[in-house]
Amino acid sequence: MTLSRRTLVGAGLAAPLLASPLLSGPAAAQRASGILRFGLSAFPPNLQPWVSTGASAGTVKLLTHRSLVSYDNKGQLRGELAESWAIDADGAWVFKLRQGAVFHNGEPVTADDVKWSIEQIAGEKSTAYMRTQFQEIERVEIPNPQTIRLVTKTPQATLPSWFGNYNTFVIWRKSTPNEPIGAGPFRLAGQERGTSLDLVAFDKFYKPGFPKLKGIRFIVYADENLRNAALMAGDVDMIEYVPWQSMAAVEAEPRLKLDSVEGPFMDILFNGTKPPFNDPRVRRAVAHAVKREDIVKAAFFGRGKPLEGLPIVEGTPWWDKDLARGWAYDPARAKALLAEAGFANGFQTTLLSTAQFGMHKDTAEVVQQHLSAIGIQCELQLPDWSTRVSRGSRGQYDMAIHGVSADNNDPDGLTVVLDTSLSPSHGRSFKVEAPRTIAALAKGRAEFDQAKRVEIYREMQRAALEEVPLVGLAWRSQGYGMNKGVKGFTNLPGALTTSSGGMLEETFFG
Amino acid sequence: MTGVWLAHRIAVSLVLAWVVATIVFLALHMVPGDPAELLLSTGGISPDPASVAELRQKLGLERPLLIQYGAFLAGLLRGDLGTSLVDDYPVLHEIALRLPRTLELIFAGTLLAIIIGVPAGVYAAMHRGGTFDRCASGVTALLLAVPVFVVGTLLVLLFAQTLRIMPAGGFAPFAQDPLLHLKLLALPAIAIGKGLAAVLFRMTRAAMLDALANDYVRTARAKGLAPGRILVVHVLRNALNPVITVLGLHMGTLLGGTVLVEYVFNWPGLSTPLLRAVEARDYPMVVGIVLTISVLFLLINLIVEMLQAALDPRIGAR
Repeated sequence: MTLSRRTLVGAGLAAPLLASPLLSGPAAAQRASGILRFGLSAFPPNLQPWVSTGASAGTVKLLTHRSLVSYDNKGQLRGELAESWAIDADGAWVFKLRQGAVFHNGEPVTADDVKWSIEQIAGEKSTAYMRTQFQEIERVEIPNPQTIRLVTKTPQATLPSWFGNYNTFVIWRKSTPNEPIGAGPFRLAGQERGTSLDLVAFDKFYKPGFPKLKGIRFIVYADENLRNAALMAGDVDMIEYVPWQSMAAVEAEPRLKLDSVEGPFMDILFNGTKPPFNDPRVRRAVAHAVKREDIVKAAFFGRGKPLEGLPIVEGTPWWDKDLARGWAYDPARAKALLAEAGFANGFQTTLLSTAQFGMHKDTAEVVQQHLSAIGIQCELQLPDWSTRVSRGSRGQYDMAIHGVSADNNDPDGLTVVLDTSLSPSHGRSFKVEAPRTIAALAKGRAEFDQAKRVEIYREMQRAALEEVPLVGLAWRSQGYGMNKGVKGFTNLPGALTTSSGGMLEETFFG
Repeated sequence: MTGVWLAHRIAVSLVLAWVVATIVFLALHMVPGDPAELLLSTGGISPDPASVAELRQKLGLERPLLIQYGAFLAGLLRGDLGTSLVDDYPVLHEIALRLPRTLELIFAGTLLAIIIGVPAGVYAAMHRGGTFDRCASGVTALLLAVPVFVVGTLLVLLFAQTLRIMPAGGFAPFAQDPLLHLKLLALPAIAIGKGLAAVLFRMTRAAMLDALANDYVRTARAKGLAPGRILVVHVLRNALNPVITVLGLHMGTLLGGTVLVEYVFNWPGLSTPLLRAVEARDYPMVVGIVLTISVLFLLINLIVEMLQAALDPRIGAR
């Protein structure tokens, strides 16, 4: 290739022009057109309506699909495809369907579609997240076209909340597996795999005046710092998962605002199949040995709260001030418990975490330090996340660090992390004996009286504090950063924060 | 350069590509991590083992490894790299979409490096020991020493977050918005091209100094030729030969550099799906992309060898 001097000079002049402010595009253009640009943390692996593929996928699915119920901005269940629901005299749940709801192809939402969707979720070949729960439904009846009746094998007090999960949608029964047709406020207009998704408002959505936006463009920024930079630079109007280290900068920026709640939490899991962690006294010693404030500072830049009991959200009827501090930091008590269990001089063990996510690694390092102070010497094991998952579900560890949200803010939503009798998983302790905790969970699930449920779950907390199926460490803040012109969005409280994507239906530019 | 020599080089390249594909395929299956379990555990949740088993069955992961390898090789011979385990998307489609973007980034970075590195090297050699020469030598040492992701992050912080004159990252198709496309390309191209610019500067400077010391240059000056003509016809033409060789070799290594740059700038080339596929243990996607990168690398090396053989017939005759 021959480069003339003229070519060189021309190219030299063009290069700085690329960086010129003159070429900076008007950020307000998208806003004027009613399109929200949303910085997503991960591209949805797929948008299958019943398969759990993460909260980012959930955000999109909550907008393209609808279920019988959803959560309002206070975190309370509200009707969607169902107008109302109640338990009948025989203990079956009866849902009255809304009239006028249609799928994106214009077909009406019918009781047959609801029945078919439930059967798909519960099916023997199903890979649905809620499959286990839905298999508790003995039969689905359609007394009339606007009513659906669910008869369960055992009483299920929390059944309506199953339909609030972002992996439980009603799909047109004649959909093909690769093109599920939903009835959400937006429809998928286009996507580029791994990069972006474009949603446009569905003009026949059943709620008049909603959605308020004309469309949403989801742009994937896997790197949290770049996602935050995109918000700061005005490339996007809103982002999820504001990095903890950047929350103060977002709050300090006059153009932006931060909406954060404490919902997800970090915890320690145990392998209960072998000494020393098959002894609840040793697990309790671990629970009392860790100073949670250090985790909040080190892993979350102060954006979180110590968790010294079970992850029950403060302000809910289930929360109890004393029980919430049941595993308060008390190294002397921790040492005494170790001595009582026959480990007065401590022991050596391993702590499995992952180096792939900073919060997991930082939490593990703080835990390691505090356990060392009571004589438990931990060797940190920090493989990639995939290996962490694999080893966790196979019980190839002594202790493990984990981070997750409950399914919802009802204590029954903690079943997934507390019920160690369920099949092994990387997200709950491996075969730890916790019979009283598990029995109380089952009792609470079958009780419909609210006052009795409150008492049952207090008993469940007392049992768990002794049996220690997990050790709570820290609530972590989960924040959405957005331009101040973005209105109407609410980060849902507690564990429901991961379902906040549904609130984009009410979001608008003010 | 003979036909036999060329056929031999191509055969060696094909065997190397097969070895790479096989090693990656086997290594991926040996490391811990179950694609079905990982897919259903996204977000840290606990999947039902029955669902995991069902998905494994659907994905064909229950088959013996040799059978899976045989199916992979058979597909490869048909030009079919399979489909993603995550969403059943054809691997070839993904590569066809993203490879041009990775190549665009590499070519933009290379172009930038040539535009800056070669003229700067010529100028520094012409004014050896001067202020520019000393400063430029220092700057190139810095450019070579600072890792590409640090430069990338600093560029984002300065131009996007602080000055707000450039987008932080992302991609816009050229046909849709040419201006935005170029703006989004600028920072990653600088990040990826900075190291090569430094290499080209040093190489050009050294080659120019060598050429300038030759007798034929002194003779040209003694004959009274214009300095510009001496520079272009007698010095630069001879000095560029080693520079072109280095450029070709470094273009291959830029393929590796794009992984970090594409991640830092959210440039949707081959790196993003590769990283995502490794995390998800999406075997067909990983093998397909790694194979593509390997073939590209081998192709670039083959072209460089052919160029060298064309310039120096002794190489092709060996």
